[in-house]
Parts: sequence; structure tokens; C-alpha cells
Amino acid sequence: MSFSISQHKLNQTNNTKSNDVVTLRNVKLHYPIKEGVLQKIVGAVRAVDGVDLTIKRGQTLGLVGESGCGKTTLGQVIAGLIPATDGEIWLNLDETSQLEIKRLNEIPSEKWDKQDQENWNYLKSQHLLGAMTKQRHRIFRRNCQFVFQDAFSSLNPRQLVRDIVGRPLRVYGEASGNDLEQKVIALLERVGLGPEHMLRFPHQFSGGQRQRISIARALALNPDFVILDEPTSALDVSVQAQILNLLDELQKDLGLTYLFITHDLGVVQHMSDNLAVMYLGKFAELGPTNEVFNNPFHPYTRVLRDSNPSLEIDPGAGVGLRLSGTVPNSIHPPQGCRLHPRCPVAQPECGWEVDDFLQHLETNSPTLFEKIERVERSNAFSVQLGMENEIDAVHLRNETQKINSPLGSALEIAEIKDKNVILRFREVQEIPLLQISTNRSSSCLLAGRTGGINSVIRK
Amino acid sequence: MSNLSKDWLLRVDDLSVEFKTPRGIVQAVDHISFDIKPNETLALVGETGCGKSVTARSILKLVPHPQGRYASGSITLKNQSTGTSIDMLSAPLSEVRATRGNRIAMIFQDPGKALNPSLTIGQQLAEVFGEHRVDLLLDKAGFDQNNLPFGAKVFATQKAGFISKNIFKLTHRKDYLKIRKSIDSAVEIALADTGIPNPKKVMSRYPHELSGGMKQRVMIAQALACDPDLLIADEPTTALDVTIQARILDLIKEIQTRRGTAILYITHDLSIVRQFADRLAVMYAGRIVEIGPALEVLANPQHPYTQGLLGAIPKSTTPRGKLAAIAGTVPQLIDPPAQCHFQSRCQWSASACTKNVPLLTELNDNRQVACLRFAGETHKHTQIGELPSQINFRETNNI
Repeated sequence: MSFSISQHKLNQTNNTKSNDVVTLRNVKLHYPIKEGVLQKIVGAVRAVDGVDLTIKRGQTLGLVGESGCGKTTLGQVIAGLIPATDGEIWLNLDETSQLEIKRLNEIPSEKWDKQDQENWNYLKSQHLLGAMTKQRHRIFRRNCQFVFQDAFSSLNPRQLVRDIVGRPLRVYGEASGNDLEQKVIALLERVGLGPEHMLRFPHQFSGGQRQRISIARALALNPDFVILDEPTSALDVSVQAQILNLLDELQKDLGLTYLFITHDLGVVQHMSDNLAVMYLGKFAELGPTNEVFNNPFHPYTRVLRDSNPSLEIDPGAGVGLRLSGTVPNSIHPPQGCRLHPRCPVAQPECGWEVDDFLQHLETNSPTLFEKIERVERSNAFSVQLGMENEIDAVHLRNETQKINSPLGSALEIAEIKDKNVILRFREVQEIPLLQISTNRSSSCLLAGRTGGINSVIRK
Repeated sequence: MSNLSKDWLLRVDDLSVEFKTPRGIVQAVDHISFDIKPNETLALVGETGCGKSVTARSILKLVPHPQGRYASGSITLKNQSTGTSIDMLSAPLSEVRATRGNRIAMIFQDPGKALNPSLTIGQQLAEVFGEHRVDLLLDKAGFDQNNLPFGAKVFATQKAGFISKNIFKLTHRKDYLKIRKSIDSAVEIALADTGIPNPKKVMSRYPHELSGGMKQRVMIAQALACDPDLLIADEPTTALDVTIQARILDLIKEIQTRRGTAILYITHDLSIVRQFADRLAVMYAGRIVEIGPALEVLANPQHPYTQGLLGAIPKSTTPRGKLAAIAGTVPQLIDPPAQCHFQSRCQWSASACTKNVPLLTELNDNRQVACLRFAGETHKHTQIGELPSQINFRETNNI
């Protein structure tokens, strides 16, 4: 292979700090659902369901989404707190290694030569979370720190602040005795506390101060990368402002990389360079924060922006886009685009399926819904509904023709066979995250078309 | 108080609430006065522990006794149609109970905790009608008020499903079904009114089967069942996601325009206020520090605390790391000294601020600020100190 590079070359770049802190490739985390005496696995909660992402050094990536969309889980997966069930998490990849991984991924693994296999194993041992050597993993654990959402439950109530903040230093054998105390004081001063706080217990502090202690603990080992999981959502605005200012100051002084997980759009807009919007375990949109805010490529982002109360919105402007219904179950996420049952600009090709029809029927004509005796699905898009008698079947068929929404247009076949109604909807593949421009991607069908989602909203 | 307007629905005058704790008396609400006009939304904004929820609960006289004590003041609710009024603090309990839920209703912060987990949604809503709207239920069922069948009234007032079997023995089956039907239809209408799809089905569900937004809708339905004059919303959307919050706020606003209910909206989020409230009262450490039309206060805040609070909210224009955070923390309210509570965090603080309690002073017709920089008069129990006019400000303000 002419492109093949030697392990030596990969090795050379190994110890320098690369541009990409974390690279995720199709990362999934499925929690199995077990049932019965034998604990047979009957399904999975798809907390994170196929995520690709790169976090650049020195930047802040904001991760927003509603509760239950998997943002915290994704943060924990990146930190290595929960092993991913599928996909690869590459750490600290430089350009040479990246190209090599890309090249190796393009060739089927049976066709690799010996050199390729060696390179792959080497890259895995150095950069792949879960497969890396113990020594490399230890380095990663030092470099990647986590600040938890709840500063009340993430600090041990029986330990003094000195022990809490000094713990990482002691675990890694960085300091002990007097030296440790000096380092703890320096850390506390770094986050705006003082030496007098060292011998107190967590319950003696206010929420903002506790969060400062959490940050001091995270900074103890001088990390490159800090995952901030809703660091300010339990705090009042005035205290939140103090913490946000502190985080920014620390980032500038220490060159930190942040993954900022939050549900607060105002905060994320203020703090982050890039934004990832998550919905039901997948990314809806990725891109530079300001561009995403000013011109969302995904209706979900638009809804989030419009729903977010802001001091800057003109009160006379009227209500913006809103979502209907509630977040669907992540055990059986919707087909096609995951947002389509709630989407204000949904199209016939967004992945309408049998479940959507049944839900529509349940809300709009409950009496007819009750008369369905059997539901036999052949797949998510086609179904045979057994009714009590032929008259009801005709009623049901007529009902399908009355649907005045994209759901109706997506219905391809609706025919009666005896007492049964056979329905088939347009089959749609899962919609992937598509690159729209150099630094932006969206998983909305409309984003790639001229005018994007705005063309539909204005109508 | 002369500077309160004449046309009002609820007037809180000089209200103080104290709590007895082992460490001393906590002055949770400290001589506050405000009023709410009919069909108006007043937002009460403040940070954790500033006394906003205690104020809300005081209006319904829900402050726990004997730990809590109303130290001074009155809370008067006017009846627009009869012209009479009731003082919630001094009225007998029976009158207070008749007012609660009937004329003043409340939505609580966490709908998951406020709903009874062992009753279905239908049963909980039926309780409200049974408590306050028995006549209406019996009318709807087609009974003559003067000639009620035996047990009908008891059944209509009974606590929902609990004792229905016993009552069934008293009531004729036909009458029982009539009342049952009228209760169900009242509940169904109330639920449908808050935009709940398929209310019949929701009625037979338990709270844990509903999502957070749905539960909050049920709470709103329950609060509005008796068509109250005043709705107190105590952070109704704090536990909800932003997309759901937007829809709940839309709903509350829509119901207000439809029914003309006055709303006291309690929140810690100033951003909501702009789109939602007519007037805004900012609370700090038990006192109202600024009150006025929401848009005016937000556009041109005068009290240093309001200014600080607004500066602390991240905006797209603020450069990163440059949020105007208020230094320091909220003071302890145990036996507070007679001074401006904000002075320790205030950039304009002067020696007079530690000796005087600033009173709400009128800036113009409808705006008031409690800051010595604007003060002519000081608080009742203030010790004589430096005159406000002698304060040397460290910085001049654009007033």
C-alpha cells in the first residue's frame, strides 16, 4: 500500500497536543430492557443513538436539548463514565492519525495488510477510549474532568473542602502534606474562594460556592478538557453570572476545552462557540452558535429559540413556532425524522408511520379507535387493522381520506379487505445528519432545499 | 398608602411575615405593599429566599402556623360585583375557605407534587366542583333546588370517589347517575378548556401517567374550575422544559384574555416577564425594591438590584465573561438590621444606607423605587440617621 505510513510516524505525533480533543463516530448507548425470570432482553432505551462529533481544542461546544434527550448521558459517555454500547470515541487525534483512520475505515478489514493491521492496533491502543493502554487511559482520566449538575449531591458531605479538592491530587500522587494544602489554597483562590474555606464542610456553603468547589476539584489536575453538565441550572441568575464569568476566565487563562451541557439557550448562546442541538438521542443540528441562532436549519432549533423567553424579543412580535404533543418514547423512536410527529413544518416524506395514524385516530375520533379489534403490523409503515364489521371498516377508510395533514399525503394505500383495513405509508429511511455548508449540518429534509425551513414557515 | 391606585382587586398593605426558628426570627416578608388591578398580570420577581413564595401563600393565608406569623398588614380582596371586600388575614376561617379556590386560586411550582398520586385526574377535579360548585352541579343534573332528592346534595359535595358506594345507598340510582354525569361533564369541560386532547381519557388516568406539561395543564384546569378573580401562579413552569413552558405560558395568557382573570405571577426568571406581565415588582430580601410597568422597568431599571439582575442575564450582545454579576450573596434575614438590605452588594452604597430603611418612593405616576438615592421618606422603624440628601454617591446615575 503506497499510502501506508509507518508506525514511527504515528508515534512521533503521539505526544503533542492535537487539534481535536474528542472525535465521536456513530456513538450509541442503549440501556437494555430486561423482562421475565430469565431477564431476557426485550428492547433498549436508546439514550444516545448514533452521534458523530468533533470537539476542537480551546473551544466551547454547547450541547442543548430538552430533558431526556440524552445530553447528560452523552457527556458521561465521552468522559468514560459509562462505556458506549456501539461506536468509537477517539481522543486527542492529530491530523496524521485522523487521515490514517479515515483510510483504514474505507478499506474492508479483510483487505488490510500487515502494516495496516499494526497501525490500526497501534492507533487503538493510543487513542480509542476503551481499547487504549492502561497508561494512556490514566492520562486521559487526568485530562478530562467533569463538573456535575447538582453541587449538593456531588460533594461528599462528610469530607472537608480540603479533602474534596485535594483528593485528585492525592490519588494521582501529585502532592501530599503541606504541599497539598498549599495547592488546595491556590485552587480555591483560583475559583474565588479563600484559605478560610478549606476546613469547612459542603453544607456550610451556598449553591454558588459549592459549584466553585466542584470547579476547583475539576481543575486540580490541570486538565485540558472539562465537561460541564448543567453547571448553573440550580443557581440564581446573579450567582449564575458569577460562575459563567469564572468559567470564561479559567478557559482563557488555562486554555481549557469545554463541553457545556445545558437546557438554557441564553446561557449556551453566551458561552459556546459551537452548538449541537440534540433531540431524542440524535443531533438535530450542528454549527457555530451565532449562525445556528440567527438562521436555524432545523425546525427543532427554531422552536427552541422561539420558546426561549428572552429580554431581547419584541413582546409585540407574537408567538413563534411551537411544538405540539410530548417527547416520544425513546424505546421506539419515530421513523424517518424523529421530530416529525411534533414538527410544525412536517412534510409527507418525513417518515409518517402506523403509530402516528393510530395516535391521530385516538385524539380525533376516539369512538372509531375503540372499535379497532386487531392491529397486525408487517412493519412500521404498513398495517392491517381488524374492525368489528364492514361498516366500521368503511368508516375507518373514509376517516383516512379526511386527514388534512402531511400524514394523509404520506398514506399510499388504504383498502378494505372483508372486515379489515390495510394501510400503507410511504417508507422512509432514517434521516441522517447532513452537511449543509462547510461548518453546519442539519438532520432536516428541508435544510438541503432552497429556502430551507423558512420557505415552509412563511406560507 | 396614598400612592396605590384606586381601581384594584387585591390590595396587600404593609404585610410582614415572620418565621420563628431556633436561630432567631426570620423576617421573610418585610412591610410590603402592592395591589393588583382586575385583568392585570403582576409579576413578582426575585431570587431564592427573597420571600416571593411566602407573599403568595400569605394571600391565601397558607403560611404555616405557629412557626409563621403575620406580624403586620392586611390583604384585602374586593368583590367587584357586590362592592364588599374581605381581609384575608383577619376574616374568620370559614370566609377564608370560601375564598380560597373560589375567588383566589393557585398553581404550584411542581405539578408532580401538587396532585394527589392516589386519585385519578377526574376525581381530583371533581373535588373542586364538589367543594365550590354544588349548586351548579345539581342545576346541571336537572334538579330543583327546593325539592332535592334525598342524598343528592351529599353526593354532589362528597369527596369524589371515596365514599361513592355509601352515598349510592342513599341516592336513587337514577339520581346518582344524573349527578355523576353532571360532574363528569363539568370536569371534561374544565380539562378541554386547557387544551388537553381527549379529556375523557385523561380523567381516568393517575398523575404519574401524565407528562409534566400535561400535569401542569391539569393544575391550571383545577385552578380555573371556579373561574377565580385572581390566579396566583407560583413558578408554574420552572420544572418544565422550555418548549413546554412556552406552551403553558401561551395557555395562561390565552385564558386570561378570555376570562379577564387577574394573575399574580411569581418567578425568578426576568426573561419571562417581558412577554408575559403588565407590571413588575422586584423583591429582594423580603422587600419590594422596585415596582412599575414591566416594559418600563426592564428598559430603564432604577434600583441597583434590578440593574444587577438584568445585567446578569446572558444576552447575545454581552461579550463572554463580561456578565454584570452582582458581587456577594443575599444577607441572612434572621433579625435583620434596620438598613437597606442591598447595601453590602451595592456599588452606590453610602453610610446613610446602613442607617435608613429605604421606602418605596414614587418616580412617576406608576413607578416606585426603594432606594435612598430617590428617597424623600424613610421607613417607619428607622432610627434617625444621616439625611438622604447628604449622601455622597460614588458615581452619578442617569436619572
